[in-house]
Amino acid sequence: MRIFNKLGANLHLFMAVPAILLFGVFFLYPLTQGIGISLTDSNGVTTPNFIGLQNFIDFFQDDRARNDVMITVYFALGSAPLLNLFGLLYALFLDRKLAGRGIIRAIVYLPAVISPLIMGYIWYFILQPGRGYLPHVLTKLGFGNLDVNWLGESSSALVVLILVNVWQYVGMTMIVYLAGLQSIPPDLYEAATIDGAGKRSSLWYITLPLLYPSIKINVVTNIIGSLSVFEIIVALTDGGPGYSTESLSIYILRMLYGSFTGYSTAVALILFLIIIIPVFVFLRLTRKSEYEL
Amino acid sequence: MRGISVVLKAVIATFMVLISIIPFYVLIYLSMNTPSSNVFGGLLLVPDFHLGNFPEAWKVSKLGRAMINSLIITAGAILIVVLVSSSAGYSIARFRHKGNVTIFNILLVCLMIPAIIITVPLYTLMKDINGMNTHWAMILLTAANSLPLSVFLYSSFIRALPKEVEESAVIDGCTYFTAFWRVTFHFIRPVTSAVIILAGLGIWNNYGQAVFFLQGQDMRTVPLAVSMFFQTYGAQWNLMAAAALIGLAPAVVAFLLFQRYFIKGITAGALKG
Repeated sequence: MRIFNKLGANLHLFMAVPAILLFGVFFLYPLTQGIGISLTDSNGVTTPNFIGLQNFIDFFQDDRARNDVMITVYFALGSAPLLNLFGLLYALFLDRKLAGRGIIRAIVYLPAVISPLIMGYIWYFILQPGRGYLPHVLTKLGFGNLDVNWLGESSSALVVLILVNVWQYVGMTMIVYLAGLQSIPPDLYEAATIDGAGKRSSLWYITLPLLYPSIKINVVTNIIGSLSVFEIIVALTDGGPGYSTESLSIYILRMLYGSFTGYSTAVALILFLIIIIPVFVFLRLTRKSEYEL
Repeated sequence: MRGISVVLKAVIATFMVLISIIPFYVLIYLSMNTPSSNVFGGLLLVPDFHLGNFPEAWKVSKLGRAMINSLIITAGAILIVVLVSSSAGYSIARFRHKGNVTIFNILLVCLMIPAIIITVPLYTLMKDINGMNTHWAMILLTAANSLPLSVFLYSSFIRALPKEVEESAVIDGCTYFTAFWRVTFHFIRPVTSAVIILAGLGIWNNYGQAVFFLQGQDMRTVPLAVSMFFQTYGAQWNLMAAAALIGLAPAVVAFLLFQRYFIKGITAGALKG
């Protein structure tokens, strides 16, 4: 009985245990299992054989896989900077005194609330050549010759996907920047003005350095989100035309459906490295500048 | 000068609103047009107000069943996430022993791992525990996926809260465990609402995992039902638009109801970490 009493009094020390148990079963355990599966020729049916790093070697020798790495990286290089640029501009604009800014913030955020899959279908209605809303508007306005198959050309399809992604999630980036802006004490700006600083130098020497926590959250979440992009592509191009918009996530799922279970798990681990490396590089590079403040 | 800047501000604001809202308008417009081969044949801005698309899309797409599934999964998972991650966040924020620090670091690293990476081994696990096509397994799975972010939000918020909050209750005879549920839990309501919305929307919109683990027709969630409907009725844009509109309505309504708490909660939780 004594032990139970003691346990009851110290229960607060173990309150994180349910979280790690649940997370362990449904995340950590599969994660470690995945490392094992990636070293086999598992196809989900017959008994898998251990083949060492063969899946990883196959990956780097496959043209389609290398192409998909580049597509995924291009997508992120397009999305993450644009999201942060527009998110910051939106936040700076909506941080000022403005009639109805609360409503505008909510409206800008609204697209981020909706399933990216459904959002992709909505853009499909808009962009589809000949039938979509945009071609229709262009024709009515006399610009019928601008009715281009944006999603069907490999040169433009990826750009469209990037823009749709930025459009959908700019509100999310904006909210984090807004939160950061509100945490900057206003007397800092007053002091700077008294010392003769202009608007531009206040932005450069006060706002941006003090926004570092928001920048960190946004850049990291945008890197993770855009490198694992999936649903928007499923809805809009399904990886096409050809493989010109096939991201690594799509490749993983296709290999999985094709019963290359071991191989697709190996690709998933490679995607994990592709995500974690830039995140750590970014956090390392910017850590120094945080100390300088 | 002043007049110009006011006009400029208004123009920018209008532009921002229009950009965000036009796709929704197109969807509403499409969903209210009469079915015809030339979808945008009529007026450019005013639909035909053919409301018959909605009941028809509702019936054919089986969205009713899907909404119930999504609701059960989302509500169940949110309940678990709030209970489990608030208590974990409390313990981590207040009692920094080795175990808690390790747990927090593991969760923080896993915040960076997208769920798709564990799809294959998870598939085997779900089969082994007979969790395929069940609500309970999907609830536990999606709750587990939302844990890193929620624990992070709770712990950083509680760290910023003065310790006196629960200490006076402890003097009055509570243990730290009961003090949390009786006292602290009420002080962290802003984060709870942010967690409910963030995790809730993620779970409601989950497609990448639902598509694998909920393959039975009666188990489909809203995103699955909409995408299935789109694959089957690809040509009937009006019905598709109506289905999409019905499918996204709950998320929009929930967001509009909670958005004030939401922005507050993010501000309070995210940036103190």
